[in-house]
Amino acid sequence: MSGRGASEVFVLRPGSVGDDLDAVTPALTRAFAEARRALEAGRPVAVVVAARDLLGQGSPVDAAVATGLLGMVRALGIEGVKPGWRVNVVAGGEGDDEAVAEAIAMLGRSSSITGQLLQVGGANLGKVVP
Amino acid sequence: MTAAGTAIVTGAAGGLGGRIGERLAAAGHDLLLVDLDPAVEEVAAARGARAVVADLTRAEGVGAVLAAAGEDVAVLVNNAGITRDARATRMSEDDFAAVIEVNLVAAMRLTLALEPRYRDGAAVVNLSSRAALGNFGQANYSASKSGLVGFGRALAQRWAPRVRVNAVAPSLVDTPMTRAMPPDVLAKMVARIPAGRIGTPDDVAGIVAFLASPDAAYVTGQVLFACGGRSVAP
Repeated sequence: MSGRGASEVFVLRPGSVGDDLDAVTPALTRAFAEARRALEAGRPVAVVVAARDLLGQGSPVDAAVATGLLGMVRALGIEGVKPGWRVNVVAGGEGDDEAVAEAIAMLGRSSSITGQLLQVGGANLGKVVP
Repeated sequence: MTAAGTAIVTGAAGGLGGRIGERLAAAGHDLLLVDLDPAVEEVAAARGARAVVADLTRAEGVGAVLAAAGEDVAVLVNNAGITRDARATRMSEDDFAAVIEVNLVAAMRLTLALEPRYRDGAAVVNLSSRAALGNFGQANYSASKSGLVGFGRALAQRWAPRVRVNAVAPSLVDTPMTRAMPPDVLAKMVARIPAGRIGTPDDVAGIVAFLASPDAAYVTGQVLFACGGRSVAP
């Protein structure tokens, strides 16, 4: 589910849960615990999701997890202003692995980007992800 | 059974759920009110509606709703929800999980379980929150309410054109929970709302009724922020 990415960034990559409703709460809770642990250790966090799941173009359960992670990241971004946490979501489409890696590396260098959704590789252009 | 079909409202023992039920009953729906709190039976009796006391995080609870729902469900409003607020550094994993399970997964289970019961043109309305955009001390709640938007967005595409799925995202609403807040804290929060006041259950119920109605027949996969402008204010 997770691992060390570019630079000092802690990268969370929750995999697809398909249509398994029982997997939603464990997936989100585990992501919260791991993100918090990394942030408290002073590491920036990047949560990587599939762009199609943000718009609900696949499994509704995967969509719930992806957008749930986005909401969690936005909340952690607000809470992390004072302690200087940097936590973001990176979303890419199929074949966008290189663009995702570039975004993660950029987040590792940035001292000011937090609580944001970065969509790379042209994913979801012209679409709205509130 | 009415021509408008059955409308199911969860979390209906509270002020907002009850008001949503009233608006849907006024639109001609046969009302089925659901809550974990047995007080839902009194709420239902006062409106000539049926009630189910059920824990929707359990299969038996979903089964009880299915048993009472009938075969002509026109509207489902997923309104049940809880909060377990805490700074992220102090939030227990149990509290994180509990909010996800009640606010998000239970709504998903019921919505999916009812799939064979929806009539053509049925509407699902999920009660999200402005907090889906992030809120201090609400990592769990923000995740649950944002997840509900994503879930609905996907279902809207999967079930179109037979069933529409949308969400309403209120900000502060005048409920017993907000009335219990320290007045100075509440006043600071209201000061950040361009509309200059807290939302009322009617503010939200009217939007739910609209999204559930044929007037919104061309609206699906959307989230409507009913927050007095809070989502765009500084």
